Amino acid sequence: MAATGEEAAAMDSISRVPTAHPTVLSLGGKPEPRGEIGEISSDSQIVPTPKKPTNSIGDGGVETAEEAVEPAEPDINELCTDMFDKMAIFLQGELTGTCEDYCLLENMNKLTSLKYMEMKDISINISRNLQDLNHKYASLQPYLDQINQIEEQVSSLEQAAYKLDTYSKKLEAKFKKLEKR
Amino acid sequence: MASTESQPRFGQSVKGLLSDKVGSCSGDVIALTRQVLKGSRSQELLGQAARNMVIQEDAILHSEDSLRKMSIITTHLQYQQEAIQKNVEHSKNLQDQLRHLLK
Repeated sequence: MAATGEEAAAMDSISRVPTAHPTVLSLGGKPEPRGEIGEISSDSQIVPTPKKPTNSIGDGGVETAEEAVEPAEPDINELCTDMFDKMAIFLQGELTGTCEDYCLLENMNKLTSLKYMEMKDISINISRNLQDLNHKYASLQPYLDQINQIEEQVSSLEQAAYKLDTYSKKLEAKFKKLEKR
Repeated sequence: MASTESQPRFGQSVKGLLSDKVGSCSGDVIALTRQVLKGSRSQELLGQAARNMVIQEDAILHSEDSLRKMSIITTHLQYQQEAIQKNVEHSKNLQDQLRHLLK
C-alpha cells in the first residue's frame, strides 16, 4: 500500500511539472514542485500558459483525463455584450424599415384627409350659397314676370305708334290733295 | 459518415467550435427575421399603397381646383343677383308709366 501510494505521488508529480516529459517516470527522489498555473520565469513574473491535460488515477484504477482548455480572455464579457447589443441594433433596424413605411402611409393618409376636409368645407359653402341664390332668384320671379309684361306692352305700344304714323301720313296726303283743288 | 456541424470536429478546439456555433446561431436569427419580413409581404403591399396614393393625388388636386372655381363662380352669381335686384325695383314705375300711355 505504501508502494502504490509512492507511485501515485510520483505520477502526480510527473504530470504536474510542465517541463517534464509525460512518459518519463521518476519513481524515486523528492517530488518536484507543482506548476499548474504557470511558470516562474527568471524575471519573477507569472506568464499565463494553457492548462495541460491532467491525468489522475481514480479509486478504481481507471486513468481519466481532462481536456486541454485555453484560459478565457479577460474582456470576453464585454465582447459578448457588444455582440448582443449590435445584433439587437441590427434586428431593430430590419424592423424599423417596415415601421417607417407604415409611418409614411399614415402621414400621407393624414394629409389626404386634411385635403378632403378642406374640400368638404368648400363644398358646404358652395351648397349654402347656391341655396341662397335659388331662394333669391325665386323671389325675383314676380319682377321677371313684370319685365315680360313690360316687354309685351312695349311691343303693343310700338304697334300703336306704327299705326298712328301710317294714319298721320294718309291724313297728310289727303290734306295736300284737298289743298291743290 | 460525415459528422454534422453540431458534433465536435477532430482537431478543433472548444473555443473554435463555440465561436462557430455562435456565428451560425446569429446567422439563423438574422435569416429568420428576414424570412418573417419577406413572408408578411408588408414591403410590397405598403409600396403599392404608396404608389396608388401618389397616382390619386393628381385627381385630388384637380378636384380641389374645380371646387375653388365653383366657389368663385357662385360668388359672381351672387354679385349678378344683387345687381338684378337693384335694377328690377325700377320696373314698377316703368309699368305704371306704360299703363298710362296705353290707356
